[in-house]
Amino acid sequence: MSGALMPGSILFEFPELFLKALGYTIQLSLIGSGGALLIGTVIALFRVSPIPPLRWIGVAFVEFFRNTPLLVQIFFLWLGLGALGFRYFTTDTFETIFRAATLGMALYHGAYVAEVIRGGLIGIERGQIEAARSLGLSFIQTLRYVQLPQTFRATVPPLGNIGIALIKNTSLASTIGVADLLQAAEVVESRTFRTEEAFGVVVLLYLVLTIPAGLGVNWLEKRMLIAR
Amino acid sequence: MAIIEFDDVHKWFGPLHVLDGIKLTVDEGEVVVIIGPSGSGKSTLIRTVDRLEPIQQGRLTVDGVAVHDPKVDVNALRRRVGMVFQSFNLFPHLTAAENIMLAPTKVKGLSRTDARARADELLTKVGIPEKADQLPARLSGGQQQRVAIARALAMDPKIMLFDEPTSALDAEMIREVLDVMRQLAREGMTMLVVTHEIGFAREASNRVVFMDGGRIIEDTPTAEFFAGAREERARQFLSKVIRH
Ligand SMILES: Nc1ncnc2c1ncn2[C@@H]1O[C@H](COP(=O)(O)OP(=O)(O)OP(=O)(O)O)[C@@H](O)[C@H]1O
Ligand SMILES: [Mg+2]
Repeated sequence: MSGALMPGSILFEFPELFLKALGYTIQLSLIGSGGALLIGTVIALFRVSPIPPLRWIGVAFVEFFRNTPLLVQIFFLWLGLGALGFRYFTTDTFETIFRAATLGMALYHGAYVAEVIRGGLIGIERGQIEAARSLGLSFIQTLRYVQLPQTFRATVPPLGNIGIALIKNTSLASTIGVADLLQAAEVVESRTFRTEEAFGVVVLLYLVLTIPAGLGVNWLEKRMLIAR
Repeated sequence: MAIIEFDDVHKWFGPLHVLDGIKLTVDEGEVVVIIGPSGSGKSTLIRTVDRLEPIQQGRLTVDGVAVHDPKVDVNALRRRVGMVFQSFNLFPHLTAAENIMLAPTKVKGLSRTDARARADELLTKVGIPEKADQLPARLSGGQQQRVAIARALAMDPKIMLFDEPTSALDAEMIREVLDVMRQLAREGMTMLVVTHEIGFAREASNRVVFMDGGRIIEDTPTAEFFAGAREERARQFLSKVIRH
């Protein structure tokens, strides 16, 4: 492990490989969490909707994606959807694999986001919603301008936790061939047999992502408290 | 001219008959105070005017619109009716001015500049122009309620509904809210006010309606009501409220 911390360590012997891998991990994390937030918000709105079929879709979505392993979902999105004829996923190119992995991240974590957002939405006092409606705001406008902004402010900490979990879970993408940090470690390890160093560097690089992300969430949480 | 008309309105909450054959007419510019014991249906009554509560029987007409007709554009109706709640119900993530600007900008399509000018004007009217950029959490209860009144007025409603607007306030704040309401009454606003503030009823209202058990027991011009309520139940209730 100590070798990973030394200057001139393995990180600097394979700078391009590790940097590129870091880039993919960051991309997976950013697009994945953006997608998770979007999907989670839409599903949460389905779940509080006055229209029963939308609510059923919301429940089915959450239960499905929370109760199956992320790894299986990623494989299914890549191989399964390709086999079912979704052309977007059929070829074996890196783009296809990367797309499947990103979508897996967004869907799986979107289910958790949906539960958090739904909790926030139903936590808003009935009186505020009535006040908004009595001013002539529609159901949708009330959601958009009264309920959702407060929900996002109040759910920064749990959403942040999901985001950090997502960063760590991107490592599963390597199993279908995304050249992410974990895969970089495996490649370097197989070339050099310096197992501790290869994986040590990757541990550090994950921390370089997750620790600032955590600090960012704390900062945002404090700002949101002031704004509430 | 009648602007609110209840014609034999009934409402049930499950087996509970909360509004039992309500007949009530409010003319434009009138201030009507509704009093009555807890659970008599006062809140429910005024909430039906804004269609915050559905009714099951009878007819309710507000500004020429059959409120409970399924075809009614409820948002258009609500623009013309302002509502002030006991618990203020300000939007906590928005400043006082933003609370007031929300509906004019999003519902009426007013520009932010115009809406802001109007918000400042209304905050001046309710006596707290310096609080425009404060969040509700930084305001006293009385100030919050005055912002809530300004927020409702920003849509230029023809009718204002008040559901115990001062019941959550300390004595010194009650006056500042009642002052704003008195001024509105003087300006000719049509008001339907549920309140236990007998002083306000006596000075500012045209009529007093006494409810009990979902029914209107008495509907009398204010002066006459205070000279001696006709109904025994109203007299008893009044003597209790005034002693407090
Ligand atoms: N959403 C509801 N579901 C079921 N019952 C309700 C509901 N809202 C009110 N009620 C009941 O209807 C009756 C009338 O309630 P309402 O709130 O109109 O009375 P009120 O005269 O405003 O009383 P208070 O002076 O306590 O505010 C009460 O018995 C109340 O418990
Ligand atoms: Mg009430």
